[in-house]
Amino acid sequence: MSQKPTYLAGVGTALPGKPVDNTELGRHFGVSDEWVDIFVGTRTRHFARDLETGEVRYRLADLCAEAGHWALESSGLSGADMDFLVVSSTTPDTLLPTTAAEVADTLQFNHLPVYQVQAGCSGAVQVLELGRSLIAAGHRHGLVIGGDVTSKHLDVRKNISRLPTDELVNYVLFGDGAGAAVLSAEPAGERVALRAVLNRFTGRGRPTGQVVDWYGAADRDTERPMLYEDYKAIEESLPQMSVEILWELLDGLGWSAADIDYLLPPQLSGRMTQRIVDHLGIEGVKEVSCVDRTGNTGNAMPFLQLAELMPQLQEKERALAIVVESSKWIKAGLALERV
Amino acid sequence: MPAVAIVGLDCAFPGAPDPEAYWDLLMRGAEAVGPIPEQRWDPREVAGGSRGAMTQGGFLAAPDVFDNAFFAIAPREAAAMDPQQRLLLQCAWRALEDAGRAPRSLTGQGVGVFVGTMGSEWAQLHLPDHTRVNAQFGVGSTVAMAANRISHHLGLTGPSLVVDTACSSSLVAVHLAVNSLLSGECDLALAGGANLVLTPSLGVVYGHLGLASAQGRCLPFGAEADGIVRSDGVGLVALRRLDDALADQQPVYAVIRGTAVNQDGRSNGITAPNPWAQQAVLESAYRRAGVTPDQIRFVETHGTGTVLGDMLEVRALGLVHGIERELPCAIGSVKGNLGHAEGAAGIAGLIKTALSLRHRMVPATRFGHQENPQLRLADRGLSLLKAPLRLGGQEVLAGVSSFGIGGTNAHVVLASAPRPEPVRRPRRVDGPVGCGVFTLTADTPEALRRNLTAAAEAIGRRPRGEAAPLCWSSNRVKTGLAYRAAVVAGDTVELAEKLRAAAEDELLRAGVAVRPGRGPVTVFLFSGEGAACAGMTARLYAEHEVYRRLLGEADAALGPYLGVGVRDLLLAGDERAARGPLARPAQFAVGYALAGTLRELGVHPAGVLGHGVGEYAAAVHAGALDLDAAARLLAAHALPERGDFASVARTVTPAAPALPFASTLYGRLLVDEQLDAAYWSAQAFTAVHFHEAFAALNAALTPSHVVEIGARIDLLDQLAGADLAEGGRLLSASPEPGAGAAALADLVAELYLAGLDPAWEACYPAEHRTLERLLPYAFSAETRYWKRSWASSQPAPAAAPAAAGAPRTIAQSLVMAAQQVDPVTRLVIEAVREVGAYEADRVTPATRLYQDLGFDSVMLMQLKDVLEARMPQMADISVQQLLPALHSVATIAEFLNEWITVQVAAPSLPGRS
Repeated sequence: MSQKPTYLAGVGTALPGKPVDNTELGRHFGVSDEWVDIFVGTRTRHFARDLETGEVRYRLADLCAEAGHWALESSGLSGADMDFLVVSSTTPDTLLPTTAAEVADTLQFNHLPVYQVQAGCSGAVQVLELGRSLIAAGHRHGLVIGGDVTSKHLDVRKNISRLPTDELVNYVLFGDGAGAAVLSAEPAGERVALRAVLNRFTGRGRPTGQVVDWYGAADRDTERPMLYEDYKAIEESLPQMSVEILWELLDGLGWSAADIDYLLPPQLSGRMTQRIVDHLGIEGVKEVSCVDRTGNTGNAMPFLQLAELMPQLQEKERALAIVVESSKWIKAGLALERV
Repeated sequence: MPAVAIVGLDCAFPGAPDPEAYWDLLMRGAEAVGPIPEQRWDPREVAGGSRGAMTQGGFLAAPDVFDNAFFAIAPREAAAMDPQQRLLLQCAWRALEDAGRAPRSLTGQGVGVFVGTMGSEWAQLHLPDHTRVNAQFGVGSTVAMAANRISHHLGLTGPSLVVDTACSSSLVAVHLAVNSLLSGECDLALAGGANLVLTPSLGVVYGHLGLASAQGRCLPFGAEADGIVRSDGVGLVALRRLDDALADQQPVYAVIRGTAVNQDGRSNGITAPNPWAQQAVLESAYRRAGVTPDQIRFVETHGTGTVLGDMLEVRALGLVHGIERELPCAIGSVKGNLGHAEGAAGIAGLIKTALSLRHRMVPATRFGHQENPQLRLADRGLSLLKAPLRLGGQEVLAGVSSFGIGGTNAHVVLASAPRPEPVRRPRRVDGPVGCGVFTLTADTPEALRRNLTAAAEAIGRRPRGEAAPLCWSSNRVKTGLAYRAAVVAGDTVELAEKLRAAAEDELLRAGVAVRPGRGPVTVFLFSGEGAACAGMTARLYAEHEVYRRLLGEADAALGPYLGVGVRDLLLAGDERAARGPLARPAQFAVGYALAGTLRELGVHPAGVLGHGVGEYAAAVHAGALDLDAAARLLAAHALPERGDFASVARTVTPAAPALPFASTLYGRLLVDEQLDAAYWSAQAFTAVHFHEAFAALNAALTPSHVVEIGARIDLLDQLAGADLAEGGRLLSASPEPGAGAAALADLVAELYLAGLDPAWEACYPAEHRTLERLLPYAFSAETRYWKRSWASSQPAPAAAPAAAGAPRTIAQSLVMAAQQVDPVTRLVIEAVREVGAYEADRVTPATRLYQDLGFDSVMLMQLKDVLEARMPQMADISVQQLLPALHSVATIAEFLNEWITVQVAAPSLPGRS
């Protein structure tokens, strides 16, 4: 491939409020904090709504705009430099206007293309790929954002201790947040080249791994659960899918495992991430994870890892990110290099 | 030609009271032309006989609103001032704030003021009736005052002039300002203009000249164009040489690369445009800018929408731009939105272009889609903007034209601002934000509240981000007025919340706000080792650059003698910093660094006191002991096996403290005693007389603020019953061992409210010291001045402000009630009110004539006349005798009371009947 690389010029993140630890989570939902500690491995997460009152303190658009603002700050570019905006989320504030449009307004962007991608964990990679294509098509700079307010689906009045496990996990796995990156046609700001992007739907004929439902006025009396997670299938599939993503990226670039310095593994939960890393079986790379502090923040997750990576990544060092979206089994990944 | 930067601007145009609204209007492609407001004149009175009398125009919504009290201008004078002057005065203040300057800080500096107006319709209305004119109306109607008022009220001493070249006035003013900057005549200039449509006459004249639009709208370059409509406007830009602006890292809207002015000379009639002269002025401007026409991406044209004018202008543009070029030169004209603002038309175009370059977007021209095909724009290398044009990230060049009806043409070449070296502020996931003190000042408590509310609203609309750069900008720009507010915040959401809370403060709502007098008198109390604890000030060390440096200094001084780094102990949370032999040096290092940090923040104590080991840091701070000597003494004490303390002490050469020093050894202030070997030997082993020492310090200095210098509150707890000065405050530099930069900012904020002017740059690390544009000052809209004397030929009614309806503040009512006003004082108050037409609550016995009311010599003479009319005994008083008493209402009353008393004692002066 002779395509000119796209560069990450800046990365920014936003997490709402103070971290909520397992003790506090346990107190609210009647679930054992010890169980969360041991079987999930996530210590803290942030929520956009108040667990006491259920009051929404941050809209997704607020978090996305904040992350976008920090990404601009870290790039040294200004909002007027941006030629496009892409936002991905599972949990937009409203279906219309799009959260992307709301974010553009808050950031005082105007007269530019604004896209919204409806996606799950692979959303961050999808917007990076879309951003890269837009830059290849002639744009110079753009802002891509991923975020989720998964707490939309937490019923704060509910005692969940008696829920079936495939619903219960949703209360303890996830957190809210947003992350963003400024993309540039030239090495600017962070000067991290996006060497490869992998984005593959692989769900043909496979049972769904995760469902996040929504409904309108016509079906408001529905009894169907809003969330479903086939956590057994996920646990089973992820390690193997991750290995395949790793090697597809490496082989595509002609890199070997020894060429990478940092690994950004899938961030399902502290425990699951550990199992995946063990299964990848590559030595001598530094793992960059934050799920144990932030919970799984869906579309924001890879951006949070990128923000953790930035201060560590030295010139000429390489990093590889692996992302799996289990809804319909989407394989995704990134290869990065600081120039 | 060297470049000049547009660093600030402010404006008001029809349908757009401020620059943000102006940009919004332009981007919406809105039209602000409408019927003539009742306030101006009744169109029925002129429509009849006058050919082409205007029926529509572009009008400012509130040309009568003026915050005269802010500028200490008496209501009577405000009412006599040409509203163009009033609008320009407020506009100038806001443009300077937008340029990152506190306007009061420019007093006495050679800032230039260049204003273009097309005469003054106010003068036409008010001067002809010589039976009604007075000094105020005379001055208020003088055209030069449009610039001179700004210079006078802001104390600007650079060139100050009004230029009139008819419709090109304000762009010619910009040209003159640029030349003044480039010649070194001034370093900062305000340039622009104003136009207010007050009489129907000029509309009728335009009708006679065939320029007035019968349909009542401007359609620049339109197929249906039939002339102009008149409109209001006011706008100023703040200009500096680009190099100066860049050296100051100032945000720049756009850059002026070249300007040119010429004349039609002997054209086909004095009012007829001359395309050859227009071509020449374009070429001259491009030559001075060092650019070629093909580099110009767009031109904001004069574009009036008169068929002939449009035709001749595109012909001239075509002669210059109709060359081999990649893209046609885009053209547009703001007159489609606003109408023709005459004297302010050039500045309307210039501000539009500067905003376009800043937003990298050129608004469409309203009615551009109905382009006149006979103009053959495409053949001339031109293209009328029918939709907004997005500009890329590269440098963009643009031109602005403005042509006067008498043939004086101006053209300005602008370029997008050079990209500053990017300031990167990366932040880790959930990383901390810095903090700062946001300051706001205003002329009254009510104004403080109004501006707090406006700031909260504007900042609340931003995405969450660092508050510190906004705080730093507010320290630079929003200081200098009488009433102060300050809040400490980390991020912008917190800042907006705190500003809102400050605005809603109960006292402020009741009209009570902080108006500091002479500034705080602080004393520093250095805590002893009793206050030491593990990990103390570690957070402050992480968060505050200055503290970090100074703790490093203390550590470096102690290190060689102690053989161990106290800084490392502190940062590691090591218990040895809290007890044992190293606690005293550790406590000293903290005291030294905290006090030094406060000094760099501009907090200079009037006296010091140290408890136990705190005396060492106090002595160093007072200049009685140098850092190395203190380190040696402390090390000798901490490590007795290394030598005899007394012998080390003998090697120390003390100096006399430069500050009052309350000794806890003696329990009183030092008089002639030296802080010598004997002192330190005795101090190390003698009981501490803290209360006595503090009582002596307190009695000697009556401090308003007692600041404990230590990692936590210790000594202050012992001062619970101390006999402090009224309102005296006990404060701490670090209220708890884990306190950080925010606690220090709280302290600075409190001292700022008490009148301290801190060294703000020490409050922020370099990456936060970036100037950001804040909302400019929100003036009061409570007072309105308007005299409509054209329509009726009745003599002007006595000037009086329209009922403001503002309820008297509680504070003012209290003041009034508390004062027993004697008859003479009451008489003086009435006279002062009559002279200035002040409202009742503006004049009390304490009111000062100059500072509070803006009295001048004319008003003083009027005051004497009014007083004489009411107090015939006063006729004998000469102006000379009265002068010393003319400070406040009370001093005049006192003088008059005395005069009356003397007269009663010697009632019959010879020669008086």
